[in-house]
Amino acid sequence: MTQKYYEFFCPVKVIAGKSALEHIPYELTGLAAKRPMIVTDKGVRAAGLLDPVIAACEESGLEIVTIYDDVPPDSSTTVVRDIAGIYRQEKCDSIIAVGGGSAIDTGKAVNILVSEGGDDIAKYSGAGVIKHPLKPFFVVPTTAGTGSEVTSVAVITDEAKGVKLPFTSSFLLPNAAIIDPRMTLTLPPHITAATAMDAMTHAVEAFTCMAKNPLSDAYATAAVKKVSRSLLSVMDNPKDVDGRLELAQASTMAGIAFSNSMVGLVHALGHATGAICHLPHGLCMSLYLPYVLEYNLETIREPLGDLLLSLEGPEVFSATPAARRAEASISALRKLRDQLHKRCQLPRTLKETGKVSEDQRNQIAEMALDDGAIMFNPKEVSLEDARAVLQRAWA
Amino acid sequence: MLAKRIQPMVSQARRLYVELMFQVMGRALQAVSEVDDAVKKETQALPAGFLFEMMVMPNGPRLIVEHTGLGRLHYHGASAPRPVDLSIQFKHIAHAFLVLSFQEKTAVAFANDRMLVDGDISYAVRMTRVLNRLESFILPKLIAERAVKEYPSNLHLPHKLISAVRIYLKVATNFVETVRA
Repeated sequence: MTQKYYEFFCPVKVIAGKSALEHIPYELTGLAAKRPMIVTDKGVRAAGLLDPVIAACEESGLEIVTIYDDVPPDSSTTVVRDIAGIYRQEKCDSIIAVGGGSAIDTGKAVNILVSEGGDDIAKYSGAGVIKHPLKPFFVVPTTAGTGSEVTSVAVITDEAKGVKLPFTSSFLLPNAAIIDPRMTLTLPPHITAATAMDAMTHAVEAFTCMAKNPLSDAYATAAVKKVSRSLLSVMDNPKDVDGRLELAQASTMAGIAFSNSMVGLVHALGHATGAICHLPHGLCMSLYLPYVLEYNLETIREPLGDLLLSLEGPEVFSATPAARRAEASISALRKLRDQLHKRCQLPRTLKETGKVSEDQRNQIAEMALDDGAIMFNPKEVSLEDARAVLQRAWA
Repeated sequence: MLAKRIQPMVSQARRLYVELMFQVMGRALQAVSEVDDAVKKETQALPAGFLFEMMVMPNGPRLIVEHTGLGRLHYHGASAPRPVDLSIQFKHIAHAFLVLSFQEKTAVAFANDRMLVDGDISYAVRMTRVLNRLESFILPKLIAERAVKEYPSNLHLPHKLISAVRIYLKVATNFVETVRA
């Protein structure tokens, strides 16, 4: 009898492609929502990204009741409480989060408060605390990397206690994710590169870590293929609408993959580096990916070799002996990083970031060892192992 | 027909096995925290008074240990003196049996969604390392390799044997004391 078992869940309606934003009014009406609130940040508003969202709604006679545009990069319990207060005051009935990871997480947390009641978001922290469906919630991502539009997790900082509160529930998943290439057209090159490598890492770890399964594999390989094929062309031609859509879809697909199969050591090291050295998450992912794959190599040789087809295409795959495909996959990722470094100086080593000191490496290793992602890494990681990976990633 | 009649007995046997294994593991956790420096180092990071629970949902067998300070764990049996700080919960007795009979590694059980963590994930990761270390000591290598993600390469036979004997002696002593009490 088979020993294999897996779970897969993604009820998010994905609305993707040309004029996707114009579907928002119809979709909201279908959920009996008439008074949406937009949750976003100042950068998104200043870049004019709200305009097509508002225009799409107004043209269909749907009024955006209120806009909260002051979500900080690390959202807090106070911000969530304030937004929930505005939502109630304005008698809103639905939320549209427009932005990156922070705006989306904030939207999820606000939805908990306005649906479940109260002002203290902390009491809903943890796994499975929320037991009922929440208010209609739509997400319009403006970066192509986090995959937050299809994950059932939100992280909010409790400023008073100085801790990050995790919220996990399938009810946090939005009703719809609207992937419109107009929303990522103006992303600057270094953010395009870092967020795309974030999506790439989600997909590669989803495909090589312990909770991989046939359904997440399908999403992961498709995401790897899209990033490999489109990232450099978008870097060379940022107004490439088709390429932008490919990256945005890759991000969503990688999000579906990793939220159903989890991630591993790259994320454990990346979370620790982000917390200690304040480096952007996507950059950390890009930086650590090849070094961690090298560390895991003998445990993941087969799936990593299979990924070569998605990374380099059928010609390279068939021309590479099966025994060399795993190494060739790592080389393909290194080559991609070199190209990104050439185009926008995306760091490939800790030294190149200029923001990590040698003595912080031990701290990163210790913190990474306690990160939840490490549980799903296919190879056991000791403190010495983590230090060794950091040493290789140094320069 | 026969299978139908046997099924309740199989279920009962499985439950008894899980209960017994929890009793052994709880006592062994206390013992290994007294015997092994690496475990002590791990548990020292837990707050004093920290209560850890492993249980089967919804009201199945459970084990509770407390970090009493300086890395020492104390086995409380199946009832906690106050609300626990961290709970690792098997969704079903069948899943607990798979792990405790070494048919499924703890890490694989997490990956397969057999278990939930209620509490600080970083402490759950730490306690999983402690459980792995304990299993590496007290199980023969062939079985331990089925229970942990990777059998520690630096755990050599003399050290393993001496530690295992000390842990089993402490577990046996604790059982006797419990029966006497």
